[in-house]
Amino acid sequence: MGIWDKLTRLLGLKKREVNVLVVGLNNSGKSTVINHFKSEEERSTEIVATVGFNVEKFRNKNVGFTAFDMSGQGRYRDLWEHYYKECQGIIFVVDSSDRLRLVVVRDELDLLLQHPDVTGRRIPILFFANKMDIREALSSVKIAAALGLERILDKPWHICASNALTGEGLQEGVEWLTQQIRELVSNK
Amino acid sequence: MSEIRNINAQRWLDAFSEPHAAIYTFSHCMALADLNGDNDYKLIVADLGTGTMNIKLKVYKGTSLFTESTLIDVPTGVVTFHMDVSEPRIPAVAVASGPNIYIYKNMRPYFKFSLPTLEVNALERDLWLQMRDKCMEVDTFFELIQNLRQEIGFTHLTPRSQQLLLLEHEKWKSFVETHVTTPLKKQTVITSITTLNKNMAEEDAVACLVVGTENGGIYVLDPEAFTVLESLSLSGCSSSNNTVPVHLVATGLFDVEYRILATCRDGTICLLRRGFQEAKVLVQLSTQVVAMVVILENNNIVTALMDRTIQCFTRKGKKHWEIKSPKNVTTMGVVPLHHLSLTLLAVAMTGGTVQLYEGRQLVDVVTVPDTVSALRFGHFGQEENTLILITVGGSLYVKILKRTAHFTPQNDCIGLVPAQQIKMAIPKKTKLFVEHTMRERENAIAMHQTFQHDLFRLRLNTARACVRALESCNNPISTSTVDPLKMTAQVLGLGPKFKLYLTLENMSVSSTSKDLAISFHCDDKIYSVEKPFIYIPVLAPGLTYQFETGVECVSELGISDQIRIFIVKLDQSEPLLAVMVAMPACDTLTNV
Ligand SMILES: Nc1nc2c(ncn2[C@@H]2O[C@H](COP(=O)(O)OP(=O)(O)OP(=O)(O)O)[C@@H](O)[C@H]2O)c(=O)[nH]1
Ligand SMILES: [Mg+2]
Repeated sequence: MGIWDKLTRLLGLKKREVNVLVVGLNNSGKSTVINHFKSEEERSTEIVATVGFNVEKFRNKNVGFTAFDMSGQGRYRDLWEHYYKECQGIIFVVDSSDRLRLVVVRDELDLLLQHPDVTGRRIPILFFANKMDIREALSSVKIAAALGLERILDKPWHICASNALTGEGLQEGVEWLTQQIRELVSNK
Repeated sequence: MSEIRNINAQRWLDAFSEPHAAIYTFSHCMALADLNGDNDYKLIVADLGTGTMNIKLKVYKGTSLFTESTLIDVPTGVVTFHMDVSEPRIPAVAVASGPNIYIYKNMRPYFKFSLPTLEVNALERDLWLQMRDKCMEVDTFFELIQNLRQEIGFTHLTPRSQQLLLLEHEKWKSFVETHVTTPLKKQTVITSITTLNKNMAEEDAVACLVVGTENGGIYVLDPEAFTVLESLSLSGCSSSNNTVPVHLVATGLFDVEYRILATCRDGTICLLRRGFQEAKVLVQLSTQVVAMVVILENNNIVTALMDRTIQCFTRKGKKHWEIKSPKNVTTMGVVPLHHLSLTLLAVAMTGGTVQLYEGRQLVDVVTVPDTVSALRFGHFGQEENTLILITVGGSLYVKILKRTAHFTPQNDCIGLVPAQQIKMAIPKKTKLFVEHTMRERENAIAMHQTFQHDLFRLRLNTARACVRALESCNNPISTSTVDPLKMTAQVLGLGPKFKLYLTLENMSVSSTSKDLAISFHCDDKIYSVEKPFIYIPVLAPGLTYQFETGVECVSELGISDQIRIFIVKLDQSEPLLAVMVAMPACDTLTNV
């Protein structure tokens, strides 16, 4: 607990604001995930497919997050790479019931990992195996295997099953991410 | 080939493969549509089963079978279309089977449309009536039906008579007995089905059904009331009586301007347009058509034929290009790539290759383990660019085009290299070259005149030489029709003693030449010929004869001259031919 406090203080001195990039295919639930992190009064009741991207702000454990909610539609996916440089963490949302497009997810993940602004950086990646409530949904273990996450050796990563409609699993994930970013910042 | 496969591995992602899906179908019986209005596109397949059993309408949601319903008869086509403008925009599914179209809404049977019945031939009806009243023997009845078939053609008989004609002798009686009491009906069957938007071009606008029938008819149906809006007959527009539409493509809007293209079993491509009284034959192909598609961008008609060619025609029916396909084509489909503003053509071939063409350029090859019998490209699930392949063995393969994929023509494959891509090694323009071209450009007229002048000179000289040769008969070949002869002469030796070898050949096909002789003419102060006259009794055609004589140079001066050799016919004054032999200079020193 002593280290924890120290870290918070250290961070307090240095940086309280972090940028996270939220990516994933269209319809995976990115906007719904971010919507859940916002405070009750800011939350929107209806979520429509994102065009281009949206910038959203929320706080978790005393850290201010600026989330870039990217659109996952094919024609907007080439926007993602322009934000790799500025972000300190990546949230990758996967629709675990969309078995057909797991190959596409893997392909997009490979493109992300091979990008010069991402390779060689110890940038934490959080995977949400979202829509776990749907009957055909694959488990987070199966998703991790299908995406070949074991290949990521030079970055901290974490996957958790989630339901963005109820918020199940989201807190666990974002806590992991907060901690990772803190560690990174304090190690600098 | 390996190179192509590498590229292909980068372009297409293997999203799903189910080797044991057990779907037996053709491209016509496959459709992709947002059946539930939730933007999750479903795959609708009419499975032909064994042809008699397990005929089903299957709906796939992503990788799993969503619903399945049994069909009564073999389907010939499946299309989805919007019947009305109600929200949410849920399309209806139309399954053509026999003379009926079954309409499904929300995957539940909604309506059944039957083709209008046709008039039965009066004689045929009479015959069956007589049979019912037992006025005839079965054998005579069969005979009469057979005669009627000769007269009006098999396709114009009722299905019942057709069936009877195909039966063996012992089954006739029982067949007639079971069927004779029910009234005779004639109905044709649907061979092909497609959709045509009614008055708006949007993809989810209301669309009419267009059906082609076995008796050569084309019907356009109202989407809501299912009344026949337009009906036309193809028979009569071509000389053969086999103008049965098998592939239909409709473009445009029914209320405004439309084109319906129909390829028929006899290889004709017919065109129907708004206001046409009868169909127009656009193209008459030499062989039957396996598949036809229309590339929407330029309205080009691409057909795959039985003779392993893929031919492209313009909208007016003019041939644009033709390529040979390496194997038999099984089916084709269009691959519209909106994000690349490109439309590719997918051609499936025996053995499991699917080639993708841009125009006539091969740009990609996709391979699956077995021959593809049905293919469709479109929106499936959440993915827009999905290629669905079903093989003859019933396997299902789903490929997704990578977002980063691009298509550039592959030069080392079949198809032609576009001319502008060939890079020629053109050397740099030197100063000399430039000056030369300048000079040529300035003096073009003079150059032309000089050239013409020289050419005339050459012609004149040739003509003169020819005349001289004719005048003197100084010609080693005799063109006389009676004795066509050819002679060559050869001088051997250094001198002063020479040997003169002559070869004579009779060039006529059959007639022999008789009573000829060789005589020599020379300056007797210089040469003395050993045998100045050689008699040739006969020259058989086709054989070569050798003659020889010695020649001695008698002059002391060591000069050389010519010897003329004549072939003469004994009773003619003019020689048949003459050869001038220039004797070599005699080396007097060797004589010493
Ligand atoms: N059942 C279920 N539905 C979910 C879940 N998360 C999101 N959805 C639904 O999935 C649909 C798409 O969610 P979005 O948040 O718009 O997806 P997105 O990733 O932002 O999509 P784009 O903005 O187009 O990239 C919405 O209808 C959500 O209600 C989940 O955990 N379970
Ligand atoms: Mg969104």
